[in-house]
Amino acid sequence: MKTLIAFIIRVASTTGSNIRSNTQVFFVSVATIAIALSILGVFLVIFVNLNSFLSTWSGQVQLIIYLNDDLTQSQLHQIEQTARQNGFVESVTFNSREQAWENFKKDFAGKSEVIEGLDINPLPASFNLKFKEGADRLEHIRQFADSVRDTDGVESLDYGERWIGRFEKFMVFLRIFLLGIGGLLSLGLILIISNTIKLSILSRQDEVELMLLIGATPRFVKSPFLLEGMIQGVTGAGIALGILKGLQLYIEWQLHHTFESAVHAMEIQFLTPPFIAGLVGLSVLVAVVGSFIAIQQFIYPEAK
Amino acid sequence: MIQIFNLYKTYGGAAPALNDISLSVRRGEFVFLTGPSGAGKTTLLRILYGWENFDRGQVLVHGINIVKLNESNVFLLRRRIGIVFQDYKLLPRKTVFENVAFAQEIIGTERRLIRQKTWEALRDVGLTNKKDFYPRQLSGGEQQRAAIARALVNSPDLILADEPTGNLDPEIGIEILRLFEEAQDRGVTVIFATHSQEMVRSGKHPVIMLSRGQRIKP
Repeated sequence: MKTLIAFIIRVASTTGSNIRSNTQVFFVSVATIAIALSILGVFLVIFVNLNSFLSTWSGQVQLIIYLNDDLTQSQLHQIEQTARQNGFVESVTFNSREQAWENFKKDFAGKSEVIEGLDINPLPASFNLKFKEGADRLEHIRQFADSVRDTDGVESLDYGERWIGRFEKFMVFLRIFLLGIGGLLSLGLILIISNTIKLSILSRQDEVELMLLIGATPRFVKSPFLLEGMIQGVTGAGIALGILKGLQLYIEWQLHHTFESAVHAMEIQFLTPPFIAGLVGLSVLVAVVGSFIAIQQFIYPEAK
Repeated sequence: MIQIFNLYKTYGGAAPALNDISLSVRRGEFVFLTGPSGAGKTTLLRILYGWENFDRGQVLVHGINIVKLNESNVFLLRRRIGIVFQDYKLLPRKTVFENVAFAQEIIGTERRLIRQKTWEALRDVGLTNKKDFYPRQLSGGEQQRAAIARALVNSPDLILADEPTGNLDPEIGIEILRLFEEAQDRGVTVIFATHSQEMVRSGKHPVIMLSRGQRIKP
């Protein structure tokens, strides 16, 4: 236990000393990480906000089953039963043709003279189905819609499927794009950090060499540099998150300021805790990999 | 202590750096390793402390087959060897005391022992009065004394000294040689590499002579 504590103190003090002797390089590396993660973070914020928009929106989606005008009572009963028996359906509301027409007239009262002049009711009767909350709600709606589409008495279905489909495709694209840009930025960061750590090792080459000659364990030699990489990663990620938060507040303030009450309720959602953890994790991982590569390349080619 | 059989080492050039070297050094023995510059003395020493690979042959140090060591366990061998260099390799930002203590910190010696052992090592080389000096404040001879104290502080079985007097005046060189002889008196095996024939003559120890990578008769 004592040895472990001594080891930890030793690693921490060597790391501190490494950073002090290379302050400028250390901060350049931290700044690079912060900038790269900020770029990635901006895309993540966009993704999080679109995702939350999609989920709010999908929460409001209802399935409307439009019925044929010549629908029989038994067909009506059959469709209603099918809807009520589905475990994911929360409520089923019937809207007769007359009700639909009345609602329509109420909604568009005074807005169109054409409606006033119509003496037939062009609207079909319908069932409005509300589905239970859940991540798979859209999928349940889609499955149910497919199962009743060809039922006798059903004229058509509507739940904005085309829109939702396009939006979902866009989200898939965004995900791939994020992975791509995340991968590229990570690769760049690995190279930058690896070079920074190499400079750090170079500045202490004599000491590192001496440590190896005297009989230091590989862990003893590597740990301070890995810790330095980790500190770079955490600091860089912290600064990036600060930049993102600042950006979010600024944009919100600008929106409120410019549009006053029109978008008063509009708020940009910040990264959720899993995304924050992911960003910090990625940063630390990238930093540690970068440091590790540097140590392996630098220390071991000359030493056995 | 050390056994070498038919050792070959090349750096890719036409002539091998070491060509069919065989030798043995007994426990507690003091041996001069001599020969002109480029003879292969440094290469041989680097192989002995596991810093350099070799192409063919067998090298046993403390009964350990060097070729079987790798990055993760070579430190076990190095902990039993004290190495001294021509350029001292003292850390400039540490005092003499800290330089010697550093060697113990690295191998995880208990803190309370470090102070005591550092003091004893500095006493053995006559440097206690300069313990708080930085290397740049010392003469060449004093720096080499500090380096010897560092090499001895972990009580090694074997000392490998690579031209330890190469940068020093002959009189100071003799003083340094005496320090290694004192270590031998305490049971430490010493291999002392030098190209100085004067030094070899003043020592009266067995000599292994290399020339262009080959062992020749002294």
